[in-house]
Amino acid sequence: MTTDTYVAGTGVLYRFDPRAKLLLMVLLCIWFFLPVSLAGAWLVVLGVIAAGVLSVGLRRMFRTFLTILPMLAFMILFIPFNVRSGEPLLVAGPVVLATREGLLQTLRLMSRFVGVTFVCALTIQSTPMGKIMLALRWYGLPYKASLVVSLAFRFIPFIADSFSQIKDSHRLRDPNIDEGKGRKGYRSKLGDMLPTLTSALVVSLRAVPSLAMSLEHRGFGLPGKRTSYHVLETSWRLFTDLFISTMIPVALWFLFAVR
Amino acid sequence: MDGIVSITDMSFSYRDWLSSRADALCPPVLSHVDLALEDGSMTLILAPPDAGKTTLARILAGLIPKYMDGALSGTVMVDGHDLSKTEPWELVHCCGYVSQNPLDELIAPTCEDEIAFPLESLGMPRYEIIRHVRAALEAWGLVSMREASAQELSGGERKRLLLAVQDAVDPKVWILDESFDDLDVSWRERLMDRISSRSNTSVVFGSRYLDEFHGTFDRYGLLDGGKLSFGNETDIALEFERLCETPYAASASKSVPGFIPVSDTAGCGRSVMPLHVMEREGKEHRLSCTDVSAVHMRRSMVQERPFTLSVPRFSLLGGEVVSLCGPNGSGKSTFSRLLCGLDLPLAGTFSLDDDVASRTVLNRSVGYLFQNPDYQIFLPTVKEELAWSLKRAKIPQREIDRRVGECADLFHLDLDETPSTMSFGLRKSLQAATYYLLDRPFYILDELDSALTYATAFDLVNLLRHNGAGILLITHDRRFADALADRNYTISDGLLSEAEEGA
Amino acid sequence: MSQKQGSSNKVALRLALVAILTAVTVVFTMIVRIPTTKGYINLGDVAICFTAFTFGPWSAFIAGGLGTALADLISGYAQWAPISFIVHGVEALVIALLVRSRAGRDSAEAVVPLWRKILAGIAGMAIVAGGYFVGGGALISGFSVAAVEIPANLAQSGIGVVLGLAVSQAVRRAYPPVRSLSW
Repeated sequence: MTTDTYVAGTGVLYRFDPRAKLLLMVLLCIWFFLPVSLAGAWLVVLGVIAAGVLSVGLRRMFRTFLTILPMLAFMILFIPFNVRSGEPLLVAGPVVLATREGLLQTLRLMSRFVGVTFVCALTIQSTPMGKIMLALRWYGLPYKASLVVSLAFRFIPFIADSFSQIKDSHRLRDPNIDEGKGRKGYRSKLGDMLPTLTSALVVSLRAVPSLAMSLEHRGFGLPGKRTSYHVLETSWRLFTDLFISTMIPVALWFLFAVR
Repeated sequence: MDGIVSITDMSFSYRDWLSSRADALCPPVLSHVDLALEDGSMTLILAPPDAGKTTLARILAGLIPKYMDGALSGTVMVDGHDLSKTEPWELVHCCGYVSQNPLDELIAPTCEDEIAFPLESLGMPRYEIIRHVRAALEAWGLVSMREASAQELSGGERKRLLLAVQDAVDPKVWILDESFDDLDVSWRERLMDRISSRSNTSVVFGSRYLDEFHGTFDRYGLLDGGKLSFGNETDIALEFERLCETPYAASASKSVPGFIPVSDTAGCGRSVMPLHVMEREGKEHRLSCTDVSAVHMRRSMVQERPFTLSVPRFSLLGGEVVSLCGPNGSGKSTFSRLLCGLDLPLAGTFSLDDDVASRTVLNRSVGYLFQNPDYQIFLPTVKEELAWSLKRAKIPQREIDRRVGECADLFHLDLDETPSTMSFGLRKSLQAATYYLLDRPFYILDELDSALTYATAFDLVNLLRHNGAGILLITHDRRFADALADRNYTISDGLLSEAEEGA
Repeated sequence: MSQKQGSSNKVALRLALVAILTAVTVVFTMIVRIPTTKGYINLGDVAICFTAFTFGPWSAFIAGGLGTALADLISGYAQWAPISFIVHGVEALVIALLVRSRAGRDSAEAVVPLWRKILAGIAGMAIVAGGYFVGGGALISGFSVAAVEIPANLAQSGIGVVLGLAVSQAVRRAYPPVRSLSW
């Protein structure tokens, strides 16, 4: 099981300072919720997608699109159905199936959803997790919180690996291993999982005192200030990037706002 | 008593979790231990498995009793600090503990972060941290793995990472718990050179007496029955071998199935009665495979690509013991998983009694005792653990009670104990006992001898053979393999083949 | 003479506990899946309820919230991460607060009546369904779509409560030292 979210690549997006990128991500997401014209919203969505294709590649973008496809399908099915006031567009006998307002609402919500999704996905894919954590710390995230995240990332592969071995171990000691004759209901499958889940939790919890021991043994808890091996360089570059991050959403607002 | 480390009349007992009282204690693990180490000295302390060496090592590092509930009496002084009044983080420069089990100790997502962490805690300036990290990575051959995560490294590489961390921090006292294990010869030499430079005081705990230890240490000690004693090298080594019943191993009968020798460890009084050999009803089973090949994912995926393991021929008959030896990472576990039907090979077939065996048939016929016995423990008492599979097989309660009782006697298990708090040796026995009750025709024992005395390992193997089962023993201890096995297989360079007699 | 040093500075222990519980939640969400007729049930809710029933409110809040948020981030659903953090964090916090026992933490007799646990579970389910409805509706897909998801969310968190309760019992009995780990 991989915890890698970073997609290696080159391009402007990769060279952008992570702190500025986070700011841009938040501001753009907020922008999508502001009263902007529908055409403007979709233009920005296309712009984001274009930036994505140029940075992480078409295949990656397509994969992201596939993850939101079910939700988009739901939106097309259900939103028009719920917004039925206004000029009717699609009629089946006496029942109005879709109206102009419904269609517009659907398109608006879709633009927002697609836009926010791709903005967040692009940020995560073009920035290594370590840099994201450093950026958050620069913004004020306490060290202990980032330590919890980095410890979690350290243990996720270990627990995942243990889990699959525990599952195998329980399978082998079950006297009723059958060829799958008779499909088991999901209730009995869940019951069968109980021993595996218990063992997995015990194995994970056993690691807690050792981890704490190790942390303190390596100096966690010393009163002086901690230094940092990894840093984000602070140079004039940061300020220009931050400036760009603020200007883009502001400019888009002025361009497409509906007054 | 002076010197950089000084322990006076120290005794320690773990908390008894079976009792509901918060102050209930188990029998003492260490009693009245005295230890004094001179600055710059090298000490070797040998101890049979489960004798308390990890406990002693952790006490020296100030980690017990803070992190493992128990009662400590006596004084422990390291570099002028009284450990009962000092927090572990104040001891970063004083003592460094390198654990026997690296996965327990690794805390960072990558190797370089691991080495940097304690230096960051100490407030070292960044350019110095960079220098120390690079030096440590180079000294222990980890430069190409600097951004790899611990999960991707092999056992030996993880040990080296811990040593690299230790090197970078450079504490005054090095406490090494089985650090020579799992390392290749060249790295063992490197480690020995490092501690021989005497710029630090070192204490090495071991449960295998290696040739490298000969004549290099200042003092040799033996930890047994909670007591620590010192002596000259030959005496200590001999006594240690006796405790681990190593000479017994060489002379034990291996060709009489069902023979269970009387093993009486000093002061323990435990003995096992010779058992009647019960022939398996029906014919003797035969497990074999032909022309099997599988992809073997090497642990250290950073440097090497996965290679193909090929097994032209392998067979295991009911009643015999076959050993499989090979260096770490050579594919022993991969083969085991194929043999018990957990994984599918790329090519080739497995057969049981000349019929092609599907994975489910293999699951039902081959019991695989994982190296970590905790993978199957999930119930509160030994009795419930043993009874669980019998209950699932819908055997009547009275019969279950009878079989469970008999099994617990054979394996020296207390039916009311909580498995998760038992010692490692007992948990391993419990694992073997649950499989014994399953009565499978074949068993695979993965590195059984790695944390047990020879006697315990022998007993377990013989008990499992009791019903005429065939055993595949995986080990990297040739002596153990030769003592027990009828035939030997080895893996090298991706090929599993039968070894010649006396190879 | 006999000194038990356990009471000093527990920060590292709490951090370690929370980090590992977070990792457990991520693993349970991402790789533990039960196939059903409609798709997959993931067992993240089991981990969250387990944490809430076994440990204290703070561990539950962080492990539940951060765990699900990280799982969302890693599996490519970053847009859901803030919502998951708040919804599951509050769910875990409320359940843990409702089943908090007045007896000492370290006592084996910290018995909470079953009805209280069930009540806490129901409260949790309501928070999940309601939270995703409000959050998903306002921020992601609109309320009409969010309403459609309510039954599925209820089902999954219901399974989480039941299994989480069962597993919490089982782990407490199988591994007694867990009593001293609560925060």
